[in-house]
Amino acid sequence: MTAPNPTRLRDLPTPTPTPTPARRPRRDGRPVATVLSWLYALLLAVPLYYLAVSALKANIEIFTRPFALPAHWLWENFATAWRSADLGRALLNSVLISVVAIVLTLGLALPAAYALARQDGRLARVVTGMFSAGFLIPPFAALIPTVILAIKMGLFYTREFQMLFLPASALPLSVLLLTQFMRAVPRPLVESAALDGAGHWRMLVNVFIPIAMPGVVSVTILQLLTFWNEYLFSMTITGTGPDVRTAQVALPTLVSDATNFGVLTAGTVLTLLPVYIAYSLMTRRMQQALTAGAVKG
Amino acid sequence: MMSSTSILASTGALHPTATGRRRRGGSLDSPRVLWLTVPSLMWFAAFSVGPLAAMFVIATLRWKGLLYEPTYVGTENIGHVFADPTFRVAVRNSAVQIAIVIPLMIPLSFMLGYHLNTKPRGYRVLSVLYFSPGLISISITGMIFYGVLSPDGGVNGLLRLLGLDSWVTPWLADPSTALASLIAIDLWRGVGWTAVLFAARLTSLPAEVIEAARIDGAGRFRTMWRIAFPMVKGYVRTLTMLQFLWTLFTSAALILLLTKGGPGTSSTTLSYLVYEKAFAQRDLGYSQVVGVVLLVLGVAGMLLIRALLRSPLENTR
Repeated sequence: MTAPNPTRLRDLPTPTPTPTPARRPRRDGRPVATVLSWLYALLLAVPLYYLAVSALKANIEIFTRPFALPAHWLWENFATAWRSADLGRALLNSVLISVVAIVLTLGLALPAAYALARQDGRLARVVTGMFSAGFLIPPFAALIPTVILAIKMGLFYTREFQMLFLPASALPLSVLLLTQFMRAVPRPLVESAALDGAGHWRMLVNVFIPIAMPGVVSVTILQLLTFWNEYLFSMTITGTGPDVRTAQVALPTLVSDATNFGVLTAGTVLTLLPVYIAYSLMTRRMQQALTAGAVKG
Repeated sequence: MMSSTSILASTGALHPTATGRRRRGGSLDSPRVLWLTVPSLMWFAAFSVGPLAAMFVIATLRWKGLLYEPTYVGTENIGHVFADPTFRVAVRNSAVQIAIVIPLMIPLSFMLGYHLNTKPRGYRVLSVLYFSPGLISISITGMIFYGVLSPDGGVNGLLRLLGLDSWVTPWLADPSTALASLIAIDLWRGVGWTAVLFAARLTSLPAEVIEAARIDGAGRFRTMWRIAFPMVKGYVRTLTMLQFLWTLFTSAALILLLTKGGPGTSSTTLSYLVYEKAFAQRDLGYSQVVGVVLLVLGVAGMLLIRALLRSPLENTR
């Protein structure tokens, strides 16, 4: 077996030397933790490695030499996957849905968060409570009634319904997170803007949004990723029609009775690539955004 | 949120003159600003609360497929559901799934998160790997494991290499391993991701507390469970509830991609049963009774987790 990181594997059992003088060495289970943490990392890495090498092989080679590097690199798998799942169009659909949905989400959530950040009365707490409850009871519990709603609205098997629906599922968390960030706007700043005659709109655009910008960025990244990755609703409501389906729905169409695993894994790599490129370009921002999303609860 | 507090400090410094000014008790502070939350609330009501409420109505209808007219049958569907052996299998499978995934995932990821937070050698590589499942969609996860677990896939290939040919099996097509495979995938993607979340939360703990405990002679394991754990217990509770809900409600997606509930009903969970009854067997009333059961179980489980992980140390938010 060709493990992705054989050298690191060899490092495992050696206990880490004390990095700082403040940390005294003791029998503290650190070697155990080190071994286990790398073992799990290996468990995560191996399927990803398997995915990457399979994308460049034909079926027969995937079956007979699953972990070896490809004997000759079958780049045409990528072209085949791109063509047979019509991935180009699917990726465009994903982009279109995600972008419209995020614009709607921010358009709805920013004013709401602004209002909740400025008010602390009973009514404001009730509204906040509603969003908190909405965050815990996830909308995916109601898949079938949502399908019926799409049919009644005449938007079944269209991209438009997802554009409208996804913001609703994202609103509770977005509003709660943005409110938190907007609470950090200093009182004096608000007062001086008010003295200058700023109304709510100018206050939101010129004072609150600039100061809450890290929060806006976090929410945008977090929800874009959620929209991009959404599967079950896209699958059932937008459907598998080649002209409307998203990348997440197009990918599994590569599975058949005689699946070409090389092509399937190549398609998987292609679908995964945009997210990984984004991640490598802004690792820290994405980590912050995604952890912020779950920290609020 | 560290970033926002630092902004608070910097903007405060930029406007030192503003502090002295008198507050204008104008219309801007009136609660009428809450009207701005109405579009959000209505949107949420229309697309989330509405469908959720509709479940309870559909559960009382005989509705054989979306093209037909429904008729009201009251509680008849409930009787059908509870008498159905498939429903009982689904309850059992969901119970098994939750009972294995949650008690394994939460402690494991807490310990891994704690380890990650101590910045061990190579922790950057670790955290990128642990973070990966958070980026990978369920459909991609499904496709990865469709390859890994197929009869000629990676797992069987590995077993053959190790000479364990007797263990080779079509993992997703074998009734005795299908559910276990799905559970393994839940853990595969959930543990690392949750560990990253725990690590992020643990960074915000004051380092002196942990250091003091160590100097007092508390071992690593003790420090982790006796000092750090109680301090983030509220967060543990939140993540446990979220993981519980995700596992309970969303298992349909992975099952749809990998096993379609089979072979037979061996990997049918409640979440998948809701989907299958509505779309494959065209019995919307039945499907939504199961949906309501799922919702009730979700709320009950959440309350139970809240009670079990109550933390007297923390002030409730």
